[in-house]
Amino acid sequence: MDLKDIKAIIDLMKKNSISEFELERQDFKIRLKRGLNGGPVPVLYEDAPSVGGVPQATIPAASATTTLPAPTGGGGGEMEIKSPMIGTFYRAPSPESAPYAEIGTEFGPETVVCIIEAMKVMNEIKAEVKGVITQVLVENAKPVEFGQPLFKIRQT
Amino acid sequence: MFEKILVANRGEIAVRIIRACKELNIRTVAVYSEVDANSMHVQLADEAICIGKAASSESYLRIDRIISAAEITDVDAIHAGYGFLSENAHFADVCENCNIRFIGPSSRAMNALEDKAVSRTLAKKAGVPTPPGSEGIVENEQDAITTAKRIGYPVMIKAIAGGGGRGMRAAHNDISLVKGYHTARSEAEKAFGNSGVYIEKLIENPHHIEFQILGDSRGNIIHLGERDCSIQRRNQKIVEETPSPLIENKFKDLRKKMGKAAIRIAETAHYTNAGTVEFIVDDKGSFYFLEVNKRIQVEHPITEEVTGVDLVKQQILIAMGEPLKLSQNDVTFKGHAIECRINAEDPFDDFRPCPGRIEMYYQPGGRGVRVDSHAYAGYTIPPTYDSLIGKLITSGKDRREAMDKMNRALSEYMITGVKTTIPFEQAILQDPNFRRGVYSTNFVDQLLGGARRELIEEKA
Repeated sequence: MDLKDIKAIIDLMKKNSISEFELERQDFKIRLKRGLNGGPVPVLYEDAPSVGGVPQATIPAASATTTLPAPTGGGGGEMEIKSPMIGTFYRAPSPESAPYAEIGTEFGPETVVCIIEAMKVMNEIKAEVKGVITQVLVENAKPVEFGQPLFKIRQT
Repeated sequence: MFEKILVANRGEIAVRIIRACKELNIRTVAVYSEVDANSMHVQLADEAICIGKAASSESYLRIDRIISAAEITDVDAIHAGYGFLSENAHFADVCENCNIRFIGPSSRAMNALEDKAVSRTLAKKAGVPTPPGSEGIVENEQDAITTAKRIGYPVMIKAIAGGGGRGMRAAHNDISLVKGYHTARSEAEKAFGNSGVYIEKLIENPHHIEFQILGDSRGNIIHLGERDCSIQRRNQKIVEETPSPLIENKFKDLRKKMGKAAIRIAETAHYTNAGTVEFIVDDKGSFYFLEVNKRIQVEHPITEEVTGVDLVKQQILIAMGEPLKLSQNDVTFKGHAIECRINAEDPFDDFRPCPGRIEMYYQPGGRGVRVDSHAYAGYTIPPTYDSLIGKLITSGKDRREAMDKMNRALSEYMITGVKTTIPFEQAILQDPNFRRGVYSTNFVDQLLGGARRELIEEKA
């Protein structure tokens, strides 16, 4: 499947008001999701576990003017975990505990990598992907905004 | 004294608010969606926090994110501009519960005027005339027909939760009434989440005249004169002016009468901060209350030019607890001011919105010319929000001078890369009826229809 095919699928989705599409083949799986107002939503491009080093691709959806926080390609499946909310970033569940994630920490989609505190609520932020931390981008107890990169990771 | 204010809005009004804060030596925090990262309000504020994706529902309407942004930047108050959360009583409550002052009326005053039907009832209580109409919401088809028969056709079916000129349908007989009743209800449900509609007499050749009011926390309320906003297209205002030519030329005593009525309504609602009381006036000089806009309005600059009062600063001072330093007698009106709303729309293609990149941008200047805009050369107008890119305001010692300046300023205003409504406004300013000050809300329809189309095409 190449970019042309993916664009054709997106067009079909728009025309028929389909919001989610998933296709799985022997060595390949793709899932496309349209946002609520037909706006763009970052797309997950999952490669099969055996294939290594496939670069991440974000399919830009219809609107040309939105600038999405696209996963930055760095070769070898490098990307960033971005903040889904606004608040104060904490690396550990409490001041005395060890941080959730350090450089080299391996994690899965359900792993909590940090806490973002907003309006007195401690929100556990999950990684959503499988990978290993390569860089921690924000200092403990610093404020973060929506879309702000928190960690550099390598997807596995 | 507020040290820091968060501006929960975008575009030209966010720039306006930031300017007032800077002049008051108050630090500012801008919030922005991802597509607004290069917007002017973000550049001008002291701090800026990204609060979400492009869609308003994911950003500028997200109370939780705005409050979080307010908390991490430790602001004292929030100014919500117009639209978005500015008239959201729940948002005002959340702010106060989080110890953040909401710059605007109290949630109590907002609830007293929460929708058009409730406001009508309040106006009657205040002894202010309202257009003949239904007593509250029209519950069913039969009710609609009975009401229409009682008040007489033509009538207007209006969504109680409508705003910005949307959610209205005219009916001239029983058939269009029934059809309109059902259509209006489903449209209202979709657009405002509230299908409630009421019915009012449709006043022919109406003039839309609104009064600016300011109220402090001690109950002092003053009005700052009227704005004539009858030049509208599909219920969207395009050109506004003060004083109203109708009042100046034909019914001079209306200013005092309507000003008093506006204050009475504000008092009955225990209104504080800035607000606008909207009326409809017919050709015989009878006026009827429509609704209260519980926020600063787009067209507030023309009132500022003629009264010399900075309305946004007043909003901030009132929110800080300051009593009004002006009494009604202190309010004076000098000269005449006109505003043209510049939209990124193609007047030759049914006003289709034209978002995109502004290539060249030169805004007019000189004496008596004011531009409130967030646009600049190289700025990309996102498609996700409204098409207002700026407001051009001129003021002069009289209406003639204000119009001469507006003609000059419109011809200097250079915006390329996107289509704008400037040629359309030039045509309006050249129109003989507009120049004579004789027009009602039917003006734009008459201008667009008929042979006057050539005038617009000529101007391009």
